[in-house]
Amino acid sequence: MIRHLVKLIWNKKRSHSLLIVEIWASFIVLFGLVSLIVYNVSNYVEPLGFSYERVWSISLDNNQDTTAIAEKTKRIFQRLKSYPAIESVSRMSINVPFSTYYNGNGIEYNKKNVQVAFYITDAHFAETLNVTLLAGSWYKQGDWVGKYRPVIINQQTKTELFGTENAIGKVIPTANKEFWRVAGVIGNFKAKGEFMANKPAVFVQLDESSLWDKTMLIRVKPGTDAIFEAKLIRDIALMAKGWSVEVNYLSEGRKSQYNYTLVPVIIFLIISGFLLINVALGLFGVLNVSITRRRGEIGLRRALGATEGAIARQIVGEMWVLATFALVLGLLLAIQFPLLNVFDLAANIYLTAMAVAAVVIYLLVTLCALYPGLQAAKLQPAVALHEE
Amino acid sequence: MLTNALKIAWKVLLRHPFYTFITLFGISLTLTVLMVLTSFIDHVIGSHYPELKRDRSLYIDRLMMTDSAQSSMSSGPMSFKFLANYAKTLKTADRVTVFSTPKSSNAYIGSRKIKVNTKFTDADFWTVTDFDFLEGKPYNEQSIVNGDFVAVITDGFKHDYFSEDDKSVVGKTIEIENVRYKVIGVVRGTPITRYFTNADIYFPYTVPKSNYQSGGMRGNYSAILLAKSSGDMMAVQREFQERMSRIPKPGVEDGFKYAVLEVKSDSFKEYALNTIMAGNPGARVIFYGVITFILLMLLGLPTINLVNLNVSRMLERASEIGIRKAFGAPIRTLMWQFIVENIFITFIGGAIALVFTFVIIMLINTSGWIAYSDLTINVSVFVVSLLICLLFGLLSGVIPAVRMSKMNIVEVLKS
Repeated sequence: MIRHLVKLIWNKKRSHSLLIVEIWASFIVLFGLVSLIVYNVSNYVEPLGFSYERVWSISLDNNQDTTAIAEKTKRIFQRLKSYPAIESVSRMSINVPFSTYYNGNGIEYNKKNVQVAFYITDAHFAETLNVTLLAGSWYKQGDWVGKYRPVIINQQTKTELFGTENAIGKVIPTANKEFWRVAGVIGNFKAKGEFMANKPAVFVQLDESSLWDKTMLIRVKPGTDAIFEAKLIRDIALMAKGWSVEVNYLSEGRKSQYNYTLVPVIIFLIISGFLLINVALGLFGVLNVSITRRRGEIGLRRALGATEGAIARQIVGEMWVLATFALVLGLLLAIQFPLLNVFDLAANIYLTAMAVAAVVIYLLVTLCALYPGLQAAKLQPAVALHEE
Repeated sequence: MLTNALKIAWKVLLRHPFYTFITLFGISLTLTVLMVLTSFIDHVIGSHYPELKRDRSLYIDRLMMTDSAQSSMSSGPMSFKFLANYAKTLKTADRVTVFSTPKSSNAYIGSRKIKVNTKFTDADFWTVTDFDFLEGKPYNEQSIVNGDFVAVITDGFKHDYFSEDDKSVVGKTIEIENVRYKVIGVVRGTPITRYFTNADIYFPYTVPKSNYQSGGMRGNYSAILLAKSSGDMMAVQREFQERMSRIPKPGVEDGFKYAVLEVKSDSFKEYALNTIMAGNPGARVIFYGVITFILLMLLGLPTINLVNLNVSRMLERASEIGIRKAFGAPIRTLMWQFIVENIFITFIGGAIALVFTFVIIMLINTSGWIAYSDLTINVSVFVVSLLICLLFGLLSGVIPAVRMSKMNIVEVLKS
């Protein structure tokens, strides 16, 4: 049966070539779309690794003020801790979760190079953002001894640097003659939101007398509103004259990161959707026309005893063979993406996308061939042959 | 003869409404997508409010420093002093404005919080750009020298902060980060896509927290150089680059040892392209590759679809072709007939697409997806789309026509 169908298609390969190109192009579009969706969904299902509800970030900028920056920052930190509406305070570098800032750093251990997102945080970070440790403990004040600076790494960093070994207590040398001693390991840390890939991250203990890294993260009690926020800003401004103070809610940052990924995907989805509807309508039209042209052939088969099912199966089967030709060509192109590692995505994302796209194409052609197939099956041999 | 061909075309369209629908669907879909896309690109890079002089403006946004080993790079906006020294004093430029990159901030009224973008600018900012002043006037050199605490706000911010739309707010005060400013002007707001000029509140650069006093080369300021005419842009660029080449190299900035120092002064189109590439030459190839692929698929798929359908349906009209040929119609006339038919349906599709595009653009403009967005179907976009339309008609008309003209009369008439 299949050999017969292949032969039928092969004999008319020239007139079918455009159909094959059309299905091939649809497959490529679908493959791109599904890769994008699979990539984002597989990121989305990974947990964030921290909680952002009721967490505000306060950015401080000393502008032209150059006197006693560290002392003022420490005073502001202490003042924040004293508010009853604030549950927890942590000081960190400017690249707070969901912000547009990114701080990257290459680290090397045993000739293994890893590019990590790099955060400078104090001892209260885990408490403010509800980060749970898988091993070890978050560094405390006084853990920084001489050149040995305590760091926390995430699971991803641990796997890439140390594999299955125990990471706690390992010492990573850095470029500026400082040594990082791993104090703890946390799970995921997806600072740019749900759609971000789970990438390696390192948290380094903050030097509290530093003039930089003056961003405060605070977790407020439920029901805290803008009146408190305005008061907070006024209080800080009185403590540090001439400084800029800005409050942002992490939940808002999360939303904009969310849209940043989602909007292009949705636009792509809508356009591809219409393209595929267009292709489906076209295929349907072409098949419908070809049925009318092949009335004689179908009538003859019916007269010689072919059942209705056999006729419908032939029409649908021919489409499947055509789709298979197109898919083989499409897969040959698609397989280049994981082989040449074009967009730096994991190979299984491409493989899933290929499988899904292929299934959708088969469904699409079946849907398009079903109605013309049934129409052909209903053809009365007497009527069809009468016309000849 | 044309009217005759059009008459036949109209009858053919009505004979099979379903096939006509498929064809129109494909054409209008593709054209709508293309037109919305071009409209959006035009919205981002064309000359629109308030940057109406983009055709003779050069944008300076980044100072790029690379170390001698080419291994690390640092780039970002510049300090006010740097731009005042090197850009503001250009002799070939008509006018130069220096302004800060947008800085987000909050305004509080009672229990409400308004997120705002603020910008510190010089007085020339208001002449280089073409803002519509709904109330009051901009600040001038004098207010900058005096260090007046004044502000120009947008109508959107006025609505949020004062909640009274019909009364003038000039002379009233606003409080941002515990500093009070007097409102001296209200302008029509701009969409966020005009990155250089968009803000909710504009301050003279001499008010507190603008950091215009900072030394060094890096800071938080950008500049627009306005040439006397678009033909003059090269001269301004040359003069600016000549000044940049005089900065001593190598040197140290904020602890970064640089051997190469580059500041581009680009037209907005080049600026936009450079921003997408982010200084990576490989990215340019990938970017163009992806764009070509998308366009190819977007145009190619519906075209193949149309050609396919046309080829299959051509046989449906075999008897008509056969009879016309038998009565001596030359191949040219028949081809003409099919090409006219295709161009005809393409233009109908184009008209439908125009309506769809108009609706989509209206939806985008009114949805608040981009505040103050002013997407338009402009003449150039429409002409480009029309040309694409025509190309479409010919592509899907010629191939079937050529195939058809090869048909043998006897064979055709046999059925």
